[in-house]
Amino acid sequence: MAAQGRIVWVSGPAVKADGMSDAKMYETVVVGNSKLVGEVIRLTGDVAFIQVYESTSGLKPGEPVVGTGNPLSVLLGPGIIGQIYDGIQRPLKELSKASGSFIGRGITTTPVDMIKKYHFVPTVSNGDTVAAGNIIGTVQETDLIVHSIMVPPDHLGGKISNIVSEGDYNLETVLATTEKDGEKIPLKMYHRWPVRKPRPYKNRYDPTVPLLTGQRVIDTFFPIAKGGTGSIPGAFGTGKTVTLHQIAKWADSQVVVYIGCGERGNEMTEVLVEFPHLKDPRSGKPLMDRTVLVANTSNMPVAAREASIYTGVTIAEYYRDMGYDVVLVADSTSRWAESLREMSGRLEEMPAEEGYPSYLASRLAEFYERAGRVRATGSPDRDGSVTLVGAVSPSGGDFTEPVTTHTMRFIKTFWALDAKLAYSRHYPSINWMNSYSGYLGDIAKWWGENINSDWLSLRSEAYGVLQREDTLKEIVRLLGPEALPDEEKIILEVARMLKIGLLQQNSFDDVDTYCSPQKQYKLLKLLVEFYRRGQQALKEGASLADIRAMPIVSTLLKARMDIKDNEMPKLDQLDIDMKEQFKSIIGVKVSS
Amino acid sequence: MDKRHSLVSNSALEHTIDKILNQTEKNILSNIQSALSESQKTLDNAIPKLEQEYDKVISDGKKEADKIEKQIVGSSDLEARNKQLLALEEAIDKVFTKAIDQISNMAHSGDYSNLIKTLLDESTKILGTTKVIIYTNSKDKNVVQSLLSKYPGAEISSETIDCLGGITVKSKEGAMKFDNTLDARIQRLKPLIRKEIATKFGVGN
Amino acid sequence: MTAKGGVQYSKIAEIKGPLVVVDDVENAAFDELVEIETKEGERRLGKVLEVGNGKAIVQVFEGTTGLSISGTSAKFVGKLMEMPVSKEVLGRVFDGLGRPKDGLPDPIADKFIDINGEPMNPEQREYPKDFIQTGVSVIDGMITLVRGQKLPIFSGSGMSHNILAAQIARQANVVGTKDDFAVVFAAIGVQYSEAEYFRRSLEESGALKRSVLFLNTADDPAIERIITPRVALTVAEYLAFDLGMHVLVILTDMTNYAEALREISAAREEVPGRKGYPGYLYTDLSTIYERAGKLNGRKGSVTQVPILSMPSDDITHPIPDLTGYITEGQVVLGRDLFRQGVYPPINILMSLSRLMKDGIGAGSTREDHSEVSNQVYDAYSRAQEVRALAGIVGKAGLTEIDLKYMDVGDVFEKEFLTQATDENRTIEETLNLLWKIVSKLPKNEITKIKDKYVDQYYQEN
Repeated sequence: MAAQGRIVWVSGPAVKADGMSDAKMYETVVVGNSKLVGEVIRLTGDVAFIQVYESTSGLKPGEPVVGTGNPLSVLLGPGIIGQIYDGIQRPLKELSKASGSFIGRGITTTPVDMIKKYHFVPTVSNGDTVAAGNIIGTVQETDLIVHSIMVPPDHLGGKISNIVSEGDYNLETVLATTEKDGEKIPLKMYHRWPVRKPRPYKNRYDPTVPLLTGQRVIDTFFPIAKGGTGSIPGAFGTGKTVTLHQIAKWADSQVVVYIGCGERGNEMTEVLVEFPHLKDPRSGKPLMDRTVLVANTSNMPVAAREASIYTGVTIAEYYRDMGYDVVLVADSTSRWAESLREMSGRLEEMPAEEGYPSYLASRLAEFYERAGRVRATGSPDRDGSVTLVGAVSPSGGDFTEPVTTHTMRFIKTFWALDAKLAYSRHYPSINWMNSYSGYLGDIAKWWGENINSDWLSLRSEAYGVLQREDTLKEIVRLLGPEALPDEEKIILEVARMLKIGLLQQNSFDDVDTYCSPQKQYKLLKLLVEFYRRGQQALKEGASLADIRAMPIVSTLLKARMDIKDNEMPKLDQLDIDMKEQFKSIIGVKVSS
Repeated sequence: MDKRHSLVSNSALEHTIDKILNQTEKNILSNIQSALSESQKTLDNAIPKLEQEYDKVISDGKKEADKIEKQIVGSSDLEARNKQLLALEEAIDKVFTKAIDQISNMAHSGDYSNLIKTLLDESTKILGTTKVIIYTNSKDKNVVQSLLSKYPGAEISSETIDCLGGITVKSKEGAMKFDNTLDARIQRLKPLIRKEIATKFGVGN
Repeated sequence: MTAKGGVQYSKIAEIKGPLVVVDDVENAAFDELVEIETKEGERRLGKVLEVGNGKAIVQVFEGTTGLSISGTSAKFVGKLMEMPVSKEVLGRVFDGLGRPKDGLPDPIADKFIDINGEPMNPEQREYPKDFIQTGVSVIDGMITLVRGQKLPIFSGSGMSHNILAAQIARQANVVGTKDDFAVVFAAIGVQYSEAEYFRRSLEESGALKRSVLFLNTADDPAIERIITPRVALTVAEYLAFDLGMHVLVILTDMTNYAEALREISAAREEVPGRKGYPGYLYTDLSTIYERAGKLNGRKGSVTQVPILSMPSDDITHPIPDLTGYITEGQVVLGRDLFRQGVYPPINILMSLSRLMKDGIGAGSTREDHSEVSNQVYDAYSRAQEVRALAGIVGKAGLTEIDLKYMDVGDVFEKEFLTQATDENRTIEETLNLLWKIVSKLPKNEITKIKDKYVDQYYQEN
């Protein structure tokens, strides 16, 4: 029996309705004469406290509220990839058909085209017994995605009957029927799943495979693993969004879910304009063929912003269950936390730090806990992962504020963006002293096996130079660079080269925007070699000025832009050139 | 909000004035049409006259504008335009004055009683009670008095108010008041009427 | 527009700060427009912030001074606050609530539009990429503005932000187009003289007839400031998306707006976020700034240049901070440069235009634009470090290359940054100046520019 109540109070996105004793917590309700979508977030007596996902302007006490009986859910089936949704999975394209360039209210749509036909290839036969999570067949969703049709995770399972033969069907077609204990349940190409409930899996693995992003400072210095968690905090103007876009573009996952959560409208437009034209570096197909966007921009209703994170992560888990590696990028979790704060304030809950509700930490923990590399439920066996990357927008760039500090407790990779680096146009402005990765040890094995066994030691040596530079800089600041001996000055020089030639990366440069692991390794190796040979040259009597004057220096600095991924021999040639040039400066000294 | 719009668009006076300006829609709301037909005629006469006047002002304004244009290139268009706006407003005011004149002089016959009834129905409905105090001008008092029996608990105040016609109702404890005088209604419709008149003059959008 | 009015309620329960609480209200809607009538018959406007259980909380735009519990009544008008718009609003001056302030009649409305606007559907936005030439070198060359962008000026008290904004408004154009262009200017709690400076500047350049001014000056009611940017943007959207004009909106000073918001929040006894500003300040600001943009299939655009003064020049203060998170970059004025008499005193290292990358390059400005500007950023940043170092070790302690960077800093500030308030430089002039700066460096210091451009544009000394 669905609840049928009446509005008694309205304040912004918060509405109270009485006569709601039949309503359930987190049930979706239809609010007012304009039929706005809302969700029950508190029940007191017969009064339901509802957060409304659309603008409540003009809503009046006395208007009706009707329960739907269902929790806030997403529709999971083919057609999701390539879409741009709002926070509650309404396709923005369909909304524009109903209300034009601006977002209207009370519009009902289906998240995917229910009539579009997909070519279904059954993988089970009549009489087979299936359980929750089993694949019953596949459809080709996009050029890149084979979409497995799975028995829903909350399904009882049973014996298959009436399975359709291979052919073209739409989403509403009954593909097969299961029978168990006399109960017959039809299976279609889609099912629904409540967004606030993590989808089940069989078991979880340790993350040991790196998620390669093509970004050197990430992959080489602060890597994240498939199924891992990462956070990217930074003041405005530090390049958060560009970095997130880079991850979404180049990460070696098969599916990307990009959540624009309370951020700029034009940023979503940028993705929409750019991604169809960008090619996945591995498959050569348009990036849009693997991307889902959830866009609840800052000026869209604040309650739907709260929901958008859950909508996104549920979609990510669904593709994980098919055996895909999925990356979910959420920009920005701070705006999500603010939507929690706003609703909490309207509920008149007792606030904790900076007005945020006391459950902020537990909500963040629950969200990041939905990351992981797992063995999916059901057969055949398949392993998939959800990697979660959340941006944080600390107020005033202050990393001690609640959202940043709580997030740090639940993530393992921390890419700290630094306004000072951004001001000097060092991009990505990831500060190498404040960032860390908890996956370094776990994924070193992969680099050792797939790229080169000395990867970890090269990385440590390069990082050591950066650390030494950090301390030496203090002395320089006080006494000037001439106070240092050449052996230390060369550290400053190599650190500068590491910054310009490796850490910096121009996302707007066609070549530099993506860097393959092979190229990353070779650049790292070249710079470390430069350091080793430079030290040696100094010992053998060369001067620092001679080293600085070698033409190889500026060649190394530009190699990231000048040498393409398919031109690795050119990098090997640089090593030979470098060796020659070092030889010549030592030679000069000796002969003079 | 939309609900209210649809309720209101039926309102008698709105249509009347609409019709003053649009002869083609003559047959809608015939019950009060006759009551206001006199004013309509006046308006029909007034409009061509006003149009002439308007044209004259415009052409005068143009001439003057041309002069200024030579002096201050940048703002001449603007000044001429502003003169236009003032001239138009003057014309609109004249139409209004005539219309109000007509309305205040119209006969308080049977149709008028229907109008007052509509206003009373609307007012009591909106306040949610018929237990109200009704204020009118001295002329309308009798019309209201004759209708009073249909509204249980309603009384007419001994005070009269200064208005063209229509009523103001107050809840008995005095917390709610609803102004349904013709003056108030014309005032509220003014932006729409102004637009209609401007359109008649071939300006505006 | 309705003929039927709303019910007038006279049971006022409470008046606090800018709020009036009305009791026994039966039929009011959230966000509805309210007419408050004082005992003396004076009318003020307000809107419903909260309604329910027979109570409505009304925010009074013109303030509650002089209101009393008895004798005050509130009429719920039955619609949201609307702005009448038509082409004739061009050349007009309105007050902070959108009522005529120039002695002319109300505009004859083509439409009445809800001033809150509706969020643009991100799927329907057109990505902004048309370069606007402002004629101000540092903006065109380093912080490029494009049509449909929101690019604020972060200033401090007394600095030359209004002169700069006025110069942008006078000179801005898209090279090679003849599209209709309009300026919407909203003064939000600024001094009369500042608003007047702007008006005169538009008048003198002959641009007043394609401008609309909304003036809430310092002595006007503070709460009205909540409305001023919204009426201004409503008009801007109409001009842009109904009439196809390219509209530049200047909002000054958004700090006063945020303070009005804080006043209301405090009166409602809400749990404050940072520095007493409400927790929803970000969301609220976004409903203003996000009204910039371009739309698919429509000709016009809304470009916003909001101005805000940073309290104590502190960029981490919530107002500039949250603004920076919403806008597409920021132009930051520097106190040091201002004190040295540099105009425009833009601190280039803290400034940024996020949409620059798509607005420049071959076809719009020049193919080398992006790289040369990156190099100048880098060089100027090095110049600042060297200057700091020179402060410690003296010029004598600097290397030869350090001295070259010092030189870069000087040329940048004296020849490129510095510009007269009526000097309108073409993009070619601007780019050539950038190369002049870069050419102060030896070629092996140029790490951000491709060799082919260096060969083509480097000016040998």
